[in-house]
Amino acid sequence: MKRNYKKAFFIFMDNQFIFKYSWKTTPKKWVHKMERSEHGNRSDTNTDYPFQLLCFLKLHTYTRVQVSIDICGVDHPSRKRRFEVVHNLLSTRYNSRIRVQTSADEVTRISPVVSPFPSAGRWEREVWDMSGVSSINHPDLRRISTDYGFEGHPLRKDLPLSGYVEVRYDDPEKRVVSEPIEMTQEFRYFDSASPWEQRSDG
Amino acid sequence: MFLRRFAGPLLAKVKETTGIVGLDVVPNARDVLISLYSKTLKEVQSVPEDEGYRKAVESFTRHRLKVCQEEEEWEQIEKRIGCGQVEELIEEAQDELKLMAKMIEWDPWGVPEGYECEIIENDAPIPKHVPQHRPGPLPEEFYNTLEAVSSLPKIDEQATISKESQPKE
Repeated sequence: MKRNYKKAFFIFMDNQFIFKYSWKTTPKKWVHKMERSEHGNRSDTNTDYPFQLLCFLKLHTYTRVQVSIDICGVDHPSRKRRFEVVHNLLSTRYNSRIRVQTSADEVTRISPVVSPFPSAGRWEREVWDMSGVSSINHPDLRRISTDYGFEGHPLRKDLPLSGYVEVRYDDPEKRVVSEPIEMTQEFRYFDSASPWEQRSDG
Repeated sequence: MFLRRFAGPLLAKVKETTGIVGLDVVPNARDVLISLYSKTLKEVQSVPEDEGYRKAVESFTRHRLKVCQEEEEWEQIEKRIGCGQVEELIEEAQDELKLMAKMIEWDPWGVPEGYECEIIENDAPIPKHVPQHRPGPLPEEFYNTLEAVSSLPKIDEQATISKESQPKE
């Protein structure tokens, strides 16, 4: 039955083979959820292991993923471990992509993956800047996309869309000053069941 | 007699360049590969038996070692293994050795108790207008390795034995 499956979908399923192979060969301790779909294969792991899993994926002969495309943080406020750090990887030799996800708190620190993937330096800085998930022993952890002296982490769901401060050029002082924002915005709440515009304070 | 011994390396085509920046041509690639693969096979003994990793490494290393020992010229080796140039194969073998050293250090073998792994098989088709990523064909031996890895452990008699992997007696 397996043979026919392979023959019929030969052209479409090649990406899945690399994924299935990686499922069989990675040590079980490292992954606790795997999804295989046409929309993108991903594997979930615990906080201690992303460095090891990524080293494995990089160096092993049949899963040569040597390019780290992106690392981003996703905020799910309803979960206990609210952030999810997603590593997107690409294998140029086998032309396949894979996603590795870890979940983290506000205070959990992730191991940096800079030694196998040098480009991850910037991605990790962005994750730190935007969502506040920091790395242990990161070689260079600074802000990368926010303004100097910005407080807060923009991509968290509790920071409003327009932020808390606004900047304007002040002519008497001849410099740019930042002041609390004049246009406040409440937490936006959408309820598609009702046709009237909803407000968060009821 | 001397002609046969010396004519081999002389008649072989000399590789001018790998075409890849930073990768130099290795003239004695075959010997380097054979030594690396034998070292890999020795190192992988420290991995516990029944681990998918060990089965996979043994399977493809043995196949590649066999190909290298049978074929004399780098061009034939490249064509038969089907996984890029010999210099790339050397790099892969070295990386595998590095990886094995690290794995033995981390020691992640065995399945912890109460281990649950959620496998989601999402076969929802992508809408037709979305460009789909179609990767190219994989080398032949990849499928053999996949079968070797998916085969049941030796205790079970219904193990599917592919032609590459033979359980060590």
